[in-house]
Amino acid sequence: MMAETAYGLKLGQKVPDFELTTYDPVTGEFGAFSLREQLKNKRWTILFFYPADFTFV
Amino acid sequence: MGCDLVTVSTDTQYVHLAWQTSEKELAKVKYPMAADPTGKVSRMFGVYDENTGLALRGTFIINPEGVLLNQEINFYNLGRNIDELMRKFKANIYMSRKTSEVCPSKWKEEGDKTLSPSAKMVGKVHEALQG
Repeated sequence: MMAETAYGLKLGQKVPDFELTTYDPVTGEFGAFSLREQLKNKRWTILFFYPADFTFV
Repeated sequence: MGCDLVTVSTDTQYVHLAWQTSEKELAKVKYPMAADPTGKVSRMFGVYDENTGLALRGTFIINPEGVLLNQEINFYNLGRNIDELMRKFKANIYMSRKTSEVCPSKWKEEGDKTLSPSAKMVGKVHEALQG
């Protein structure tokens, strides 16, 4: 099975801003992740993509 | 320096909640689980598989200036090595402070041998790594 993916970002490139809705297991609440907020707070970000919940990560 | 790990899949936040609260392996999870049901962000990073609607196993390190410094993408059937992720992350932080140094492949943590590239080192990397 071949994956059909488009080209992504290039290393050294500034990542365009994006936002995602989140579930936060610590608080049990829904929230939001914003790259702009990360940069404002001078934080590093590790994004960890995986195929699907309820499967092996 | 502060860092946030965020996991992303094309599931919704509701499914993240259901999975995290039912799967005992995830009981101690401390990081936010992000939902990308449209695949918009997964597409931007080049991990969205149009054939399945799922995201491949991609890991991306972004510095506090918003610059993408590392990417690693595995196919569905290969898990990632967290030690290697942490090695890359620590190396990035170290090099952001010591901008004239580079971290060789065996570098694991601060105090390990680094290299400071210069004209003198050309053809002498072996000696520099031993020194």
